[in-house]
Amino acid sequence: MNPAAKRRTVPWDVLGLLLLIAVALFTPELLRALFDRASVSYLSIAINALSLAVLALSWDMLARTGQLSLAHAAFYGAGAYTTALMLRHLELPMWLGIPAGGVVAVLFALLLGSLTLRLRAIYFAIATLAFAEVLKSVAHHAPTSFAGGNAGMNVAPLFRPTFVAGEMERWEVAFLRNESYFYVYAGLLVLTVLVSIALQRSRLRHAFTAIRTNEDVAGVMGVRPARVKLLAFMLSAAGVGMLGAVEAHRIGSVLPDQSFAVATTVLALVTPIFGGLYTTLGPIVGALGLSSIQELLRRTFDDGYLIGYGVVLVLTILFMPRGVVGTLGNAWRKRGAGKPRAKRTSDDATEKPGGEA
Amino acid sequence: MIDPTLVLQALVSGVLAAGLYALVSVGLALAIGVIGIVNFAHGEFFMVGAFFAYQLFVSFGIDPVVSLFLVAPALGLIGALIYASTIRFVLKAPELNQMLLTFGLGIILQNLALLVWGGDPRTISGIAYRSIGFQIGPISVGLVPLASFVISLALVLGLYWMLARTATGRAMRAVAQNRIGAALVGLEVDRVYLVAFALSALLAGIGGVMIAVIQSPTPTIGLAFTLKAFAIVVVAGLGNIRGVLFASLFVAIAESMVATLVPNGDTLRNAVFFAIIFVVLVWRSRRVA
Repeated sequence: MNPAAKRRTVPWDVLGLLLLIAVALFTPELLRALFDRASVSYLSIAINALSLAVLALSWDMLARTGQLSLAHAAFYGAGAYTTALMLRHLELPMWLGIPAGGVVAVLFALLLGSLTLRLRAIYFAIATLAFAEVLKSVAHHAPTSFAGGNAGMNVAPLFRPTFVAGEMERWEVAFLRNESYFYVYAGLLVLTVLVSIALQRSRLRHAFTAIRTNEDVAGVMGVRPARVKLLAFMLSAAGVGMLGAVEAHRIGSVLPDQSFAVATTVLALVTPIFGGLYTTLGPIVGALGLSSIQELLRRTFDDGYLIGYGVVLVLTILFMPRGVVGTLGNAWRKRGAGKPRAKRTSDDATEKPGGEA
Repeated sequence: MIDPTLVLQALVSGVLAAGLYALVSVGLALAIGVIGIVNFAHGEFFMVGAFFAYQLFVSFGIDPVVSLFLVAPALGLIGALIYASTIRFVLKAPELNQMLLTFGLGIILQNLALLVWGGDPRTISGIAYRSIGFQIGPISVGLVPLASFVISLALVLGLYWMLARTATGRAMRAVAQNRIGAALVGLEVDRVYLVAFALSALLAGIGGVMIAVIQSPTPTIGLAFTLKAFAIVVVAGLGNIRGVLFASLFVAIAESMVATLVPNGDTLRNAVFFAIIFVVLVWRSRRVA
């Protein structure tokens, strides 16, 4: 039980990040070589997985302080609406909408967090859900000329690859567009992973854990819970705000019910729980697993495919409360402990039911 | 400027709506107060009740008044099954896990309903009493809202009576105060929890039958009613079952006033609830800090 010492020997987190970058760089071309025309839709699925990973990892950053946020749809929607409004009302380069979406989301987190982060977990959850619904109402009632009201707004795509007759086939236009988006989403994920790794390596990690375990004790030990939680909330909102902005461009529109969908919040929390909470790897593993499941479900059902998420959520809480990564990690540690420490492993096994969190 | 009859009408509508709100919220308060479970799926019981009533009417022509007596035990059973199969196992788990579990249950129920009934509003049409109303001076009162108010109030008061006077009620209060103490004096805590959760779902289901007649529900109304019930429970104070009645009156009248008196206010109904949750929570936290 000394992760700090272990990490100094092999920096798994940095190696993992490098691996992620390497895989991301080659994925589009690899898909193209393997699947030819079908690679367009595979690339879309990969983009969805990346998007889910950004959302889930961001949500997890706040969860590390023990707070259950139900407001991540609000940050996502805020980012989406920011870029849409800038395109509509300001003569600025389109790309600025993405960082601006992140900034606006952070400001919302600052406002919401400073009002609600003193609340205990359950009250915080309810207040954040209420906040998200209020923002949705605001989007619905915004004057049509300003923000589109119920009908939303159109958002121009980030990339418009041109079709060159004779040199390429029709489907390659779609491939080029998806490829460009893929790199944007991958970049966003790399950025989020960097923030997450930095948090995990810094002293803040211990502050987060202390607050999660017992806020009062953390306060006595010199951690300032209100400040630390607010910082986590803002970091957590930043990536989601930028994600919302990029998604608005890719989807081509913002709509109140779509941009502020409760489903976004659901995805944000189910994914890390499924993958494994309080880690960098867990949410990413969860995103890969769930986006595959989602793809299957979406092809089978039109309405109500979210039911799969509900089932995964309930089953995970009941049978695998540490998520995929936590459960596999446990199994690995037990095997790795080997014979000399056989006594200790049996102790661990008896402690397990109470100690799971 | 502001028409006094309009204010009076809004007040009457608010009071009538408060009955149904109290009925739904008191179930949530029961789950929180007795079991200590914050049930994010509570509004879904309400929604399921509404759609059961709708389906009974469409398939068998059963009048919603009769459905009340069919849906209530059905929802009680569903509540008991959900408690026995899931909630039971997370009673000692961290609060986060409990919330996530009920949230997951809510997602399942809502999306099951979406699969079965689709996303469109469903109306129980062609019931004669739906359009009956009374005119008292300048105020008009519909028979259905009035009846739902009376039934809800009777049920809520009945619950208060049960908690105060019957053996089951005393057991629930004992368990709520101290589960170990209650177990020591021979109460089967798990069983009391089961009954409380089933009762909570049953009351929400009855409310659902009434909303099926009052409005045209969609499978997504559950979440809205979960939030409304939370608003009321939060105003009353978490776990305070008796305060629910007055909190419902306050919240329902506020909603009705905004809907009637603010221009274009009808679309702001939900926003009123969320604003109340938000303000009350934040205000409480400031006062404590």
